[in-house]
Amino acid sequence: MSYKIPMGPYHPALEEPYKLDLICEGETVCDAKLHIGFNFRGIEHLAESRNYIQVIALMERVCGICSNIHTLTLCQAMEKLTGQTPPPRALYIRVVMAELERLHSHVLWAGIAAKLMGFKTMFMTCFELREKVMDVLQAISGNRVNYSMNKIGGVNRDIDDPQAVLKMVEALEAEMVRTVIPIFTTSSTARSRCAGIGVLTHEKALSCSVVGPTARASGVAQDLRRAAPYAAYAEMEFDTPVQQDGDVRARLMVRALEIMESCRILRQALAKMPPGELDTGDVKLVFATGTATSRVEAPRGEVMYSVSWKENSRTPRRVHVRTPTFANMPAIRWMVLGARLADTPLIQASIDPCYSCTDR
Amino acid sequence: MISLETISEQLGTTDPWVENRGAYWLAATELNVRDVARAMNAVQARFVTITAYQLPDEDGFRLEYHWDLDGRLLGFSFPVSGNSIDSIYDLCEGVDWIEREVHEGFNVDFLGREYEPLLLREGDTPGVNLREVSK
Repeated sequence: MSYKIPMGPYHPALEEPYKLDLICEGETVCDAKLHIGFNFRGIEHLAESRNYIQVIALMERVCGICSNIHTLTLCQAMEKLTGQTPPPRALYIRVVMAELERLHSHVLWAGIAAKLMGFKTMFMTCFELREKVMDVLQAISGNRVNYSMNKIGGVNRDIDDPQAVLKMVEALEAEMVRTVIPIFTTSSTARSRCAGIGVLTHEKALSCSVVGPTARASGVAQDLRRAAPYAAYAEMEFDTPVQQDGDVRARLMVRALEIMESCRILRQALAKMPPGELDTGDVKLVFATGTATSRVEAPRGEVMYSVSWKENSRTPRRVHVRTPTFANMPAIRWMVLGARLADTPLIQASIDPCYSCTDR
Repeated sequence: MISLETISEQLGTTDPWVENRGAYWLAATELNVRDVARAMNAVQARFVTITAYQLPDEDGFRLEYHWDLDGRLLGFSFPVSGNSIDSIYDLCEGVDWIEREVHEGFNVDFLGREYEPLLLREGDTPGVNLREVSK
């Protein structure tokens, strides 16, 4: 006999509200239905009543983890409409901010995954590491969540102390190599909770059009930083970690390896950062009529903005945001099929979901 | 890397692709959304999203479909007459939630599919144009 177990919208395993209705037979999950919309704020519609300065501050609040990525993607789209080209130093600063954000997002996720595995010591270790990244973000921007770094045609602040960032990168990398990666890869607790659990096959990853680490853990080697480079990524050397197993462990490994690659990118960006202006210096911006699109590889995968403007208007006609979790979440249904009920909190968390982004 | 002309051939059009502000657009006028979805499947393009635009003066809607092909963003624009357009859910699983979102946010009906419970909510009624509600 099958029975339904609702998980959420408020549940200890969920960082934000959403609902997963699990249809079970005994301890085995036979089907699942996802319900979102609990965080719907109508941000896209609200954007249509904000001018080109206000809309940046608004879209920064789509997500509390990857706030910088949203303003970066939006500004890139608006730069296409206004014909602005940011100076080289601004492009390098954008890379540094994007990678710092990826670091803090991935380390945060590793901590949450550890907590859901029942590995509280690792949770504390990861959050201590994340705190170091947050300190650097705060030192650069003065903020810990909404950094307000991006503007149309450049960035708002310089990186005054690249050595502090480098020092943090070295400390983080050393701790990852010494503690986090070995424990996640060799500990029997981590292995038993992650290996072979919540598998998303390569074929299903393609048909669901999943993105980011979720796709790369299922053997789909896509990364916009390589495939369609933006900011200064074309000048960076880095690898795209890909795993084939499609299970929770593969998603964990992809993110752990991406932390190392982010450190590598940060070292290059800080070493090669050219001197110069932070923005174009244009005060009065003229928008062309039409639509511009921009895509960025956020910590969870591809973010896309479509921004439509009418000439001489102070407000956008339309701002559409496609967030990575919106693409990845439907795949949870396939990941939990046949799984043990007790594994579902970790499985759903393994895509690193962000429901605020998803609902907007 | 697959050339864009290969897609044009599959769609039976000689109209050019135009690169414009971040995407390659096929400017052909008589495209069918299901034919486009089949062509995208044939070249293993990844579905990205649908963006809905409500046109002024009660002219209906315009839907822009995007796929990614080896890092290139491909765009196709379709006018929506009478608030309905064919669904491509049976051809492309990744389109499910965005078709539902457009249906629930703009009251555009995607023909040939059933809708699961609501993603967005305006009471318990599916298919409400939230922009009209907010006026």
